[in-house]
Amino acid sequence: MSEARTRSYEMVNIRPGYLVIEQEAHTLRKRSYFVAESNPPREEYREGTEFWKPFETAQTFQFDVRDNRSAEVIPFRELLGLLYYGCCKPESDVHRMGDLAHDLRISLYVAITTEGADGSRHEMPLEKVRVLNTLFNERLTSPDKKVLILPDLFGLYKEISYGQIAIDFGLTSME
Amino acid sequence: MKVQELAERLELKPATKLFPRDVTGVYISDMVSDVIANAKAGDLLLTAQVHANVIAAANLVDICGIVVTQGKTLGEDVVKMAEKAEIPVFTTSLSRWQMATRLYEAGIR
Repeated sequence: MSEARTRSYEMVNIRPGYLVIEQEAHTLRKRSYFVAESNPPREEYREGTEFWKPFETAQTFQFDVRDNRSAEVIPFRELLGLLYYGCCKPESDVHRMGDLAHDLRISLYVAITTEGADGSRHEMPLEKVRVLNTLFNERLTSPDKKVLILPDLFGLYKEISYGQIAIDFGLTSME
Repeated sequence: MKVQELAERLELKPATKLFPRDVTGVYISDMVSDVIANAKAGDLLLTAQVHANVIAAANLVDICGIVVTQGKTLGEDVVKMAEKAEIPVFTTSLSRWQMATRLYEAGIR
């Protein structure tokens, strides 16, 4: 039996692709989505009276999680990325909480989710956040080390630059 | 083998404080998402990336140390983040391929 099969959860159906952030030409509204394609979309398009054009892209991946006890596959299409507290402003609530957790060898991350077509945020149910916590904690081997992934209770998606999320913004540039 | 012992043997230059960890494997990648998806706890990460997100990803999957290749250097904020996460980071002028061959010769599989 493989190492992964002895765990409660396993990352499956890993789909490399791009996170695309697009902007509406007149209102400057932004929204984001994932595409599992070899090249990110570069064309602008019309949607009703709106014109959407690509604003920024980043290499990333999506995955599902298999519950090894029930064989159920849980999709995580709404997960945009994981934001490490250490990448947030030192005076922010999440950084202060992360610092307190760090004293107990707990590393704090926030699950940032994608936006719908209307710009509203896709919520991640607490049960799925629990699954993520188990998935990543089961991979750890350092004694006493823990990872705590929180839902975005802080509204961080409104404040942060997408580049702070642990995905590959600007990281393909090798200069 | 301990990270520090390996670093001394391969003449890697420490960019952070050292933290005692066992090296149980190696993962080579410049993509944060790839590290999160595929690296294993205890792996030594060889990368040319010096962005803070590399530390965030390495910490999430319990990487034992990072070797930054091609003579790249880390920003002060990234060094602080790595030290807080207790991830030792080393630099080398070698390429990832050259580093990989030396690790293999040193007995890391």
